[in-house]
Amino acid sequence: MLKYIIKRVLWMIPLLIGISLISFFIMHLAPGDITSNETAFNPKASEESRQKLREMYNLDKPVIVQYGLWLKRLATLDFGKSFASHQKPVFWQTTDKDGNVTKGLIQEALPITLMINLLGLAITLILAIPLGIIAARKYQGWQDRSITLFNFVGFSIPGFWLSLLLMYWLGVVNNWFPISGLHSLNYESLDTWGKIKDSLSHLFLPVVIPSITGLAGITLFVKNGMLDVLHQDYITTARAKGLNEHKVIYTHALRNALLPLITIIGLSIPGLIGGSVIAETIFAIPGMGKLFYDAVLMRDFPVVMGILTIGSALTLLGNLLADLMYAWADPRVRRGVVKG
Amino acid sequence: MTNSFSGLSKSASIVLVTFIIAACGSSDNSPSADLDLGKNYPSESGGTLISAMTGEPSGLISMIAGESASSAISSNIFNSLLKYDKNLELEGDLVTSWEISSDQKTITFKLKPNLKWADNQPLTSADVLFTWQAVTDEKTASPYASDFQLVKKAETPDPLTFTVTYEQAYAPALDSWAGLQILPKHLLQGQDLHTTSFARNPVGSHYYKLDRWTHGENLKLSRNPNSVLGQAKIDQLITRIIPDNSAQFLELMADNIDYMGLDPIKFSRIIPARPELQQKLALYKELGNSYTYMGFNLKHKPFDDVRVRHAINYAIDKQEIIDGVYLGLGINIASPYKPGTRWSNPALTPYPYDPAKARALLKEAGFADTDGDGILDRDGKPFAFEIVTNQNKEREKSAVLIQRRLKDIGIDVKIRAIEWASFISRFIKTGDFDVVVLGWGLGLDPDQFNIWHSSQQAPGQFNFIGYNNPVVDKLLEQGRLELDPDKRMKIYHEFARTLLQDSPIIYLSAGYGLTAIHKRVKGIDDPAPPAGIGHNSQDWYIPQPLRRNEISQ
Repeated sequence: MLKYIIKRVLWMIPLLIGISLISFFIMHLAPGDITSNETAFNPKASEESRQKLREMYNLDKPVIVQYGLWLKRLATLDFGKSFASHQKPVFWQTTDKDGNVTKGLIQEALPITLMINLLGLAITLILAIPLGIIAARKYQGWQDRSITLFNFVGFSIPGFWLSLLLMYWLGVVNNWFPISGLHSLNYESLDTWGKIKDSLSHLFLPVVIPSITGLAGITLFVKNGMLDVLHQDYITTARAKGLNEHKVIYTHALRNALLPLITIIGLSIPGLIGGSVIAETIFAIPGMGKLFYDAVLMRDFPVVMGILTIGSALTLLGNLLADLMYAWADPRVRRGVVKG
Repeated sequence: MTNSFSGLSKSASIVLVTFIIAACGSSDNSPSADLDLGKNYPSESGGTLISAMTGEPSGLISMIAGESASSAISSNIFNSLLKYDKNLELEGDLVTSWEISSDQKTITFKLKPNLKWADNQPLTSADVLFTWQAVTDEKTASPYASDFQLVKKAETPDPLTFTVTYEQAYAPALDSWAGLQILPKHLLQGQDLHTTSFARNPVGSHYYKLDRWTHGENLKLSRNPNSVLGQAKIDQLITRIIPDNSAQFLELMADNIDYMGLDPIKFSRIIPARPELQQKLALYKELGNSYTYMGFNLKHKPFDDVRVRHAINYAIDKQEIIDGVYLGLGINIASPYKPGTRWSNPALTPYPYDPAKARALLKEAGFADTDGDGILDRDGKPFAFEIVTNQNKEREKSAVLIQRRLKDIGIDVKIRAIEWASFISRFIKTGDFDVVVLGWGLGLDPDQFNIWHSSQQAPGQFNFIGYNNPVVDKLLEQGRLELDPDKRMKIYHEFARTLLQDSPIIYLSAGYGLTAIHKRVKGIDDPAPPAGIGHNSQDWYIPQPLRRNEISQ
């Protein structure tokens, strides 16, 4: 098992280099660089100053040389500094000679996005699993039909539209929830319970809306997995030996029906890290999606590369983790892994 | 393992319910609705003004940051030597007076006595000299350096005097000193301006100082007790970062922000249609220093022919664009200057909409529809071109209206709208375009050398349409050398007249800047003076009874 893990982790290194190389070249295929931002069209801003910036950031060198420089820095785990945010470090904080700590862009954005998406995933799972079970048990009954209908409505509604409607209804008309942002302006002066309440109320809409729209897929997976399992021989056996229905469903059927979910969760890891541009923009959340989108528009290459590299590394790790979880949950897979 | 999943769904619902209960019940932060917003309240200090911006500043040293988000905040923190008064005439900001030598090459600034930085250190001419050195330094890549590189010699004979000497007289110099924010030498000496933490933790001299900058969320400014211009009325300025315009508007409706810039639809349709919004929001419109235009690539045929340019100018109905795209909230212009200011030539009138004249001019230029397909042609080639613009809704819509009007007179137009950075590098820098729809946002000085002078056509420079007119070149050069405002005015009136006649671009419209401000904010000049409603924001005040009761610290 350990050998397997080590092998997988070592494999990630050439994979990551390949990913970064391709990303780097694709990024440079897009026309423009950091100097084609807002000041590119300010008649007061001279072309010489833009040329100076290009030299400062090595943008005047051939792409392959720039990649080499980037890779060389990365070898020391230095993701460089952002062009567009006053040279903030891309990944992790740095301390200058006077002891001023400057936080990294990803360091600030990743926890926010992770928290929102993990909460959202948790809510989705918490709702989807029981709904899927009910839909499978009452297959083609009214419960099944109404769950399916609800799911598909949720799935089909554009998230940004639902967000704006709910922001209007819950925030403007009723003043029950804050409309945007992560904290109230007086957050600092609140007590601990007040802070928790404040954070939860700000998180409510950004967490709940994507989980509603994301409910459909997972519910269907649970339902179909459950339906498959319920037709298996061992369920018939369990029923034949007189186990009560509750035990049949929750002990025998559900464990097997949930196995595919591990894969689904594994696959959702890039999304968990990546965040959503639209949701983060609408709700004014400084997360990863917004960071990446802005970096692309500004041609802030170190940030784009930092997010892509760290994102792919975390994705690869996530996939490994999902495989391991699968092996842990399913003895059939485990045997294959140990042998391999 | 028995029952664990049914247990799970039970605990799940408990978690969810707790979440919802905890999340509900946010405080009621608006003052009671029955307060009379229209009443006259005496001016008093205190209160908090909350606004929003779509992008976060990269840093607060605006000569390095370059973007408007940065200067919007930093202009509350730093002073310049000069500033514009409400009628857009220069007056002293840090200086009491300035003097121009008889050869017009040397300017002597006299600083106000006893100036202090927010950290109690004295502000002297050494700081001014330091700022000039910083902006012109080899290692500094400031987009605004070029004006200051023209200074041949800068000196500080005493702590209150700062003199600059130019190689030759440079009329835009005074405007440039009104734009350069003076930085404290004692905090920045020996630091790299591109990386210094000062950019996120600035110390200035103006009405406000930065209290706290919560990354991605807000910037809080509070009154600077050492302010060199006396005290502002409002205690605290909070700027929230809300990237989405609709979300900003919802926050405005919910009374969580006090003002925001509006688009024409919100200004003239949405707010007037809702009595509850009309009751609490005051609407302001003011002309900005910007305009939208359609520019020809003068190096491409047939746009090198002035008759063709005139024809297209006559064929476009500008009022239709103003009404359709800006809902009437714009004006038709005839010179590249803000109407009503000294530099705008009142004798000029825009080209009227006259399709018959357009057809006649095109015929004169040799265009005719010889194959009967409805499109004019010349030498066997149909008159067809592409309008390129960036992804800006107003520009795209304007292009569509132009497309239709030009089809009427037999010109086949296609439109392409692409993302900004690609637009700049792929089309503007390479000069690989026929026609663009774009806008210029201009400073207050009339000098437009960089945009129109024939020497400014290299890739990355601003005369990308390739305009080359010796008369205009001459006028632009004269305008830079003439420091007398009245003589200068004549030069730029003549420049604008030539430009209009030559029609290298077609002025489409100058849109109004539209703002909604909560009526709790008092002391705003309406109608706005030439400098705009923000010119006296230090005198804005929020009467005690109208303040929010939420933010007390």
